[in-house]
Amino acid sequence: MFTELQEANFLVPTSYYVILSAVLFTIGVAGVLIRRNAILIFMSIELMLNAANLAFVAFARAFQDLSGQVFVFFVMTVAASEVAVGLALIVAIFRSRKSIDIDELHSMEG
Amino acid sequence: MTPGTVLFLILALIAVASAIGMLTSANAVHAALFLVINFFCIALFYLGLHAPFLAMVQITVYAGAIMVLFLFVIMLLGAERISLGSTLRWQGPLAIVLVVLLLGVTIFILFSPQIGSQMPVPEVWTAAQAAGDAEFGSPASVGLVLFERYLLPFQMVGILLLVAMIGAVVLTRDELKTGRKRREAQTAVSPDGQTGEVGEA
Amino acid sequence: MLTESVPLMQAVVPVLPEMGLLLLLILVLMHGVFSPKESRRTVCVITGVGFFTLMVIHLSVGFNFVGDPDFSGSGLGDIVRVDAFAVMFRAMILLAAALTCLMSGESRAINRRVEFYVALIVAALGMCLMVAANDLILVYVALETASVSLYIMAGFQRDSKLSSEAGLKYYLFGAVTSAILLYGLSLIFGFTGETNFSRLGPALSALTANGSEGVFALVVALLLVLVGLGFKVAVVPFHFWTPDVYEGSPTPSVAFISTASKAASFGLLVRFFSIVWPAEMIPYWAGLLAALAAITMTLGNMLALVQKNIKRMLGYSSIAQAGYALIGVVALSDTELGAAAVAFYMAMYVLTNLAAFAVISAVEWNTGSVQIADYAGLSRRSFPLAIVMVVAMLSLGGVPPAAGFFGKFFLFSAAVDAGYTWLAIIGVVNAIIALFYYLTVIKVMFVGKAEDESRYTIRPRLAVVLWVTGVGILLMGTLASPWWRWAVEASQQLTVMLP
Repeated sequence: MFTELQEANFLVPTSYYVILSAVLFTIGVAGVLIRRNAILIFMSIELMLNAANLAFVAFARAFQDLSGQVFVFFVMTVAASEVAVGLALIVAIFRSRKSIDIDELHSMEG
Repeated sequence: MTPGTVLFLILALIAVASAIGMLTSANAVHAALFLVINFFCIALFYLGLHAPFLAMVQITVYAGAIMVLFLFVIMLLGAERISLGSTLRWQGPLAIVLVVLLLGVTIFILFSPQIGSQMPVPEVWTAAQAAGDAEFGSPASVGLVLFERYLLPFQMVGILLLVAMIGAVVLTRDELKTGRKRREAQTAVSPDGQTGEVGEA
Repeated sequence: MLTESVPLMQAVVPVLPEMGLLLLLILVLMHGVFSPKESRRTVCVITGVGFFTLMVIHLSVGFNFVGDPDFSGSGLGDIVRVDAFAVMFRAMILLAAALTCLMSGESRAINRRVEFYVALIVAALGMCLMVAANDLILVYVALETASVSLYIMAGFQRDSKLSSEAGLKYYLFGAVTSAILLYGLSLIFGFTGETNFSRLGPALSALTANGSEGVFALVVALLLVLVGLGFKVAVVPFHFWTPDVYEGSPTPSVAFISTASKAASFGLLVRFFSIVWPAEMIPYWAGLLAALAAITMTLGNMLALVQKNIKRMLGYSSIAQAGYALIGVVALSDTELGAAAVAFYMAMYVLTNLAAFAVISAVEWNTGSVQIADYAGLSRRSFPLAIVMVVAMLSLGGVPPAAGFFGKFFLFSAAVDAGYTWLAIIGVVNAIIALFYYLTVIKVMFVGKAEDESRYTIRPRLAVVLWVTGVGILLMGTLASPWWRWAVEASQQLTVMLP
């Protein structure tokens, strides 16, 4: 399957991949704007990061430049640490107020 | 239409459908699983794009570690049920406008002939080109770039992972003393003993 | 490429402060693990002294090596570029970190909890690389390293509802904007196939060479990148997190976020706009930033006028200050003085805000309150605190002899030089409006009456912070010319192409 995929897929133009990545990115942005649940917003952010990664890998192939792939590697590592901290914050919030709806985060106004 | 294009379209369809499934799901666990499907599709795309190393990292780190962490937190908090936000206020229309705008702009950029001709992006990747560069994207070649040119950021993300780990522990761990105090307070308040103090009960 | 032909010195000197910070990190971690609980109160002093020593070493080494092409960037695969500009901003970051450590030792929320200092060191590490980064990959990694550590610092006081809430808000805005920034970076990579700043400039220039559609494509990438950087410096459409984070987070975290993080982000912003964007793009980004600067200043000042909580007021004030500093970035489109003005302004702003937050820490230690009304009678309860607060408020308001006067003067004159007289006028009008709420604080301190006018105690470590910042502000305000000359020299090195 490994080599078959590689051989089957490489004939698709780069722009197909970039358009797919744009579609996924916009779905992620829509998720951030529409959903009010902090965990769902986190997932939408992950989708946005993945969309950007897909574009990077597609461009890396187009230019035959591995920095695009290395960039994606770094994004994944950063995403992992970001998610760890973000979910820790969610747990801390949930402990004190039993809700992770971000519309209820309004102790401070003014 | 070549078989490659057909395969691409099928995978793209699954990826977009699962992303929309994540967006509209009313259950956090379902949303997470939809996202896992999406990440798998992207891993397959990476394979097709001569990035087998990234495909493996995608599955182990994203679909594996990150999504498991998500599921763990969702179930730990018991926060599966999510209200879908029945009151779509200004965010709804704004989101639609933004989405249309962003998509339009991207498609315009990519299909504008002038940019297309200026960008050195080869539109169609021929079999001959690919065969001539079988080494491109192999774990060894990625490793060489990673450890030669990008050694410094590589060290940095190591430190970042360390501080994220420390931070996650600090932000969630109850201080031993205050934790005990709170538990005492909770058991005193709730008469039905719903605090899970099996040992003390 | 790092091969054996690169001498050790050449690889080490550009990242000397980072290596020092790494050693400090290990030291602090070991201290936290192995030393008994009672002796841990020294951790703030150890970390603070460590930061200060690193700053001194960095400045002395930096001055010797800067401008020497062998040492200013060719090490480590050309992804770091250490010029006088980077040296200056790194010094600001290290100083802010040192003073924040001393402040944290006197904060009940943090005091001797080692993890806070770990996050602080890593944040400083990320920022030091941010201002010297010469490659998109390093920019992203450094930016995120700094951000993740700052999220931890913002939500650090986990027993406080406000702090966790501030942390989550900061995190949500930060993660979304950094994802958008990343998409912008992917477009830039897609247009050029380059990630290195020095090669990006010519490549992007080729894209705009013929046809407006190349320019349009770049404007889209520019907008996406601006979202990410705008969040970091708290420019208006991306400022929503600022007041809540300032109000909810522990005071030392806020002091660090408002000074070092803002300085580092402006360092990155200036380098990015002066090297990466080709000349054809100048009218677009300069016009956009000018509009943002005007809106940011005005909105920040208007909202600051009605605040009752001093941390929240400083939050809005810091939005307005970011607007002023953006004027310098706009002026960069036409004159190198813009970069110098931003550097000078940031140095002054770091000192000034640290002074203000040191006073807030001291008052919080004594009364536990952060309401402006509770500053009544401060001049009688502790005259030194009141004096430092006066100096800080005057500096933020831009009144001589405090440093803020020259800061604003250089910014506005750079704007006039660059042909943005209207922006300078808006800046002046805003500075006058802002004086109102800065002077209100002074009035409350000296005229207001408190029921209980017992004297405050100033803890010794806070006294050090108050002295350093107070004297520093006055020094910069009265003897501005050496600092200004340094800033001008630094800005001239910014655009010099390395061999």
